[in-house]
Amino acid sequence: MITLLEAALLGFVLVSAVATILLRDVLAAIVAFGAYSLGLAMLWLTLQAPDVALTEAAIGAGVTTILFILTLTKTVRPSEDSVFTPINWPAAGVAVLFAGALLWTVPAMPAIGDPSAPAWADDVTQFYLESGYAETGVENVVTAVLAAFRGFDTFGEAVVVFAAGVAVLVIIREEQFT
Amino acid sequence: MSNHNPETERVERPYTESSVIMTTVRVVAPFVFTYGLFVMFHGASSSGGGFQGGAIVAAMVLMLAFAFGIEPTQRWFKNTAIVLLATGGVLAFLFIGVGPLLLDGTFLEYSAYGFKKAPKYGIEGVELGIGAIVASVISGLFFAIARGFEYTEGQQ
Repeated sequence: MITLLEAALLGFVLVSAVATILLRDVLAAIVAFGAYSLGLAMLWLTLQAPDVALTEAAIGAGVTTILFILTLTKTVRPSEDSVFTPINWPAAGVAVLFAGALLWTVPAMPAIGDPSAPAWADDVTQFYLESGYAETGVENVVTAVLAAFRGFDTFGEAVVVFAAGVAVLVIIREEQFT
Repeated sequence: MSNHNPETERVERPYTESSVIMTTVRVVAPFVFTYGLFVMFHGASSSGGGFQGGAIVAAMVLMLAFAFGIEPTQRWFKNTAIVLLATGGVLAFLFIGVGPLLLDGTFLEYSAYGFKKAPKYGIEGVELGIGAIVASVISGLFFAIARGFEYTEGQQ
């Protein structure tokens, strides 16, 4: 069963997500989105995924929020009287149907900590866990998988980040960032 | 559009020089930078790694820009430094990966380097490379957005 803390965090994430959608003022929506990211980071932490939580807090709550605010200062920000944006009911209906279809599949997932879960019972997972320390000398098995066993994939990821920076320069038709 | 609505007119970026923010950032920034490096290096022994540490180091650059203004921060963290860091990170990862090929190993086979704890140092080197890429690309994107660009007619 979920604990009180998890229930509170889930509620916080849900409320901030809905607030992001409904708030009319863009700056308020950005702040709500940052809160949503921070709630999600804490949720990852309670699910014992500190590596994901660190990334979510640094990229999602930190950098993305600042980039959004910076973009906002570069564009127009119309002053509005209404606090909430009018709801597009057909779109909301489609979104609810889609979320319902996704939630319908949730009971098919194995319980948290189930030893017969496919991701855990898999031979590859067991090999990583058993030989991770002996073969790499690294205590964090996530890093061992990321940088050693799956180092080639990680090299691809690093090049993707680099390519994103280069692509921005190509799009803004400049030879330098500044 | 010739008739501008003053309500929606683009406002110049409101940089306010606040001694509270500047002092706070001056004190906090070195710790954030050190923590970012720690997350990069110590990703081998605790949670973290290059992607997370790089983002934290970039957050320090954004923080400095927030406190002291974007222009002075740009003058300090020049474009050549950003580009050198990003390409240097990719090349460092590549060379650490290709190195074992020259020593009769396979791509990224750290143990082919032969010395004690070679995989651990190899992984830490790779994490540092990733951190350099992530930190420089995030700061670069930040500066690029801050500078903005004009779309002019006649561009293809």
